[in-house]
Amino acid sequence: MIELRQISRDFEVGDQTVHALRAVDLEIRAGEYLSLMGPSGSGKSTLMHILGLLDRPTSGTYELDGKDVTALDDAAQAAVRRNEIGFVFQFFHLVPYLTAAENAELPLVLSGVDPAERRERVSAGLASLGLSERADHRPDQLSGGQRQRVAIARAMVSAPSVLLADEPTGNLDRSSGSEVIRLIEDLHEQRGLTLVIVTHDQEMGRRATRQISMVDGEVEEDRDGARP
Amino acid sequence: MLLAMSIGVAAVVVLTSLGESARRFVSDEFASLGTHLLMIAPGRTETSGGGPSMFAGDTPRDLTIRDAEAIGRSRLIDEVAPMVMAQAKVSWGGKERETPVLGGTASMRRIRGWTLAQGRFLPDGDPERDSGVCVIGSKIRRELFGPRQALGEWLKVGDRRCRVTGILAEEGRSIGMDVEELVVIPVAAALALMNRPGLTRIMATARSHEMMDRASEEILAIVKERHQGEEDVTIVTQDALLATFDRILAALTYTVGGIAGISLVVAGILIMNVMLVSVSQRTAEIGLLKALGAPRAQILRLFLVEATSLSVAGALLGLVLGVLSRVTILYFYPALPLTWPIWAIVAALATALAVGLGFGVIPARRAAELDPVAALSHH
Ligand SMILES: Nc1ncnc2c1ncn2[C@@H]1O[C@H](COP(=O)(O)OP(=O)(O)OP(=O)(O)O)[C@@H](O)[C@H]1O
Ligand SMILES: [Mg+2]
Repeated sequence: MIELRQISRDFEVGDQTVHALRAVDLEIRAGEYLSLMGPSGSGKSTLMHILGLLDRPTSGTYELDGKDVTALDDAAQAAVRRNEIGFVFQFFHLVPYLTAAENAELPLVLSGVDPAERRERVSAGLASLGLSERADHRPDQLSGGQRQRVAIARAMVSAPSVLLADEPTGNLDRSSGSEVIRLIEDLHEQRGLTLVIVTHDQEMGRRATRQISMVDGEVEEDRDGARP
Repeated sequence: MLLAMSIGVAAVVVLTSLGESARRFVSDEFASLGTHLLMIAPGRTETSGGGPSMFAGDTPRDLTIRDAEAIGRSRLIDEVAPMVMAQAKVSWGGKERETPVLGGTASMRRIRGWTLAQGRFLPDGDPERDSGVCVIGSKIRRELFGPRQALGEWLKVGDRRCRVTGILAEEGRSIGMDVEELVVIPVAAALALMNRPGLTRIMATARSHEMMDRASEEILAIVKERHQGEEDVTIVTQDALLATFDRILAALTYTVGGIAGISLVVAGILIMNVMLVSVSQRTAEIGLLKALGAPRAQILRLFLVEATSLSVAGALLGLVLGVLSRVTILYFYPALPLTWPIWAIVAALATALAVGLGFGVIPARRAAELDPVAALSHH
């Protein structure tokens, strides 16, 4: 359960202020599948960063499962990032000199999970994304779709309740893109994951039960398929 | 960078070790003279410590053999040895050599702890009398007499003749004097030879170490009485001399160690630069770690550990280098009593650690403060 109230995010560029988000109110129920669309520069990524606690809003409050996470200190926010939120980026962001398995293992290393359990969870995660054969490959030995699947495995090893994906197919061709989307949707269905996907692809956006379009830092339209 | 660190550590270790060894060497040397020794020199120094100054005040009264005898009669004094030191030409059988000549008495040998390779030392008896004998060092014996017997021969010292009765053993070094090159003659003969009324020094030993202070007061009193109320001598005790040397050498050790320490700081700055470069090269990775849920403190720790391991690796390499140079030094100068002050090794390692931590803080902080969004979009 996510509740954003009056979230604004301003950037100071020189002597100008860019209002990337303007007093956004948004409520996302647990297990919802939501797509975020809108023209370039409308504030989608900024919103995702705030949802993922990668960035702090200039004003407004953000409650996650009933607690105000904007008020938490750095260590507590980091713990929320580790345990509750998975993030998938457009540019994968894998560590080039680590294997697929090692990349997927990273969040567990940061959490201090012991190696035996790490191995088990990573190989289960890679298997569920069809990557068992690729566990020992480095990112440059993988295709784009495979890389994004490794990134999804990494986002999912800590069993978060929320998965945030910012243009996860933006760097993929159509077929591997739709494969990635299908895998993400499977996770959503099987685990009751709350899913937020940013996309420029109308067709992909329409697959979500709830579709939000943003314009100029504001929510312009909120079409909720589950609530007429 | 690793090299700078190891050179720094090696330098600290080797230099302090050298300094410390010099200090030990000097203390040992002094200790071999016995710790009850008092040296009485003519003239008064106003400043404390150090030796007698040749420039101090008005010309002092001479120290005489009679003064020495008076000092020797004190109950606090065990042995007393009047001494004259000079250079003179020594010759035998057409061979001649310029060498240090020491005028002394039988007690000289006991105070100095000399032993004889052959024959006897100067005889006991009235020190005012020239017994016409002399004792020579082993090198003088070799150079003048070669393979021939020296005992009983008549040696010419300056314009006087003396019969060789003893040859000093080669045990060697004695502060300020090379026993091997020495010619010892009776003090009265030396005064006559040099045509001088006064002694260079009087050496005396107190009966015990505890009596040193009282002995030196008493000596001053005796001299004052004999010199019409003038305390015109300087007494240097073994302890004072040793303490002075010790201070000088300790200061030297610390200075040299400090200079070597500066190279550690240079190494620290290099480490800082390497770390800063590494932080900026790994900006995206650091951003990723933060995005995946690494708190600031964890990133900070990560980079501090890296900086410290770098500098400690350098330090260990430096210790190896230090050991190697020690072995090398010992190979060329085997007589050097090189010690390894544990504190120097510990200090060098601790400094390396501190340098790594200290200079690692700035880069580590920079890494920890990175904004994950900005860091991730950094390419
Ligand atoms: N770090 C920043 N500094 C200054 N301005 C920024 C920063 N990040 C975003 N902005 C501005 O905020 C606005 C929203 O940016 P954002 O990246 O959220 O857009 P977006 O909807 O994700 O666009 P796109 O579809 O191109 O990814 C833009 O005008 C952008 O220029
Ligand atoms: Mg974006």
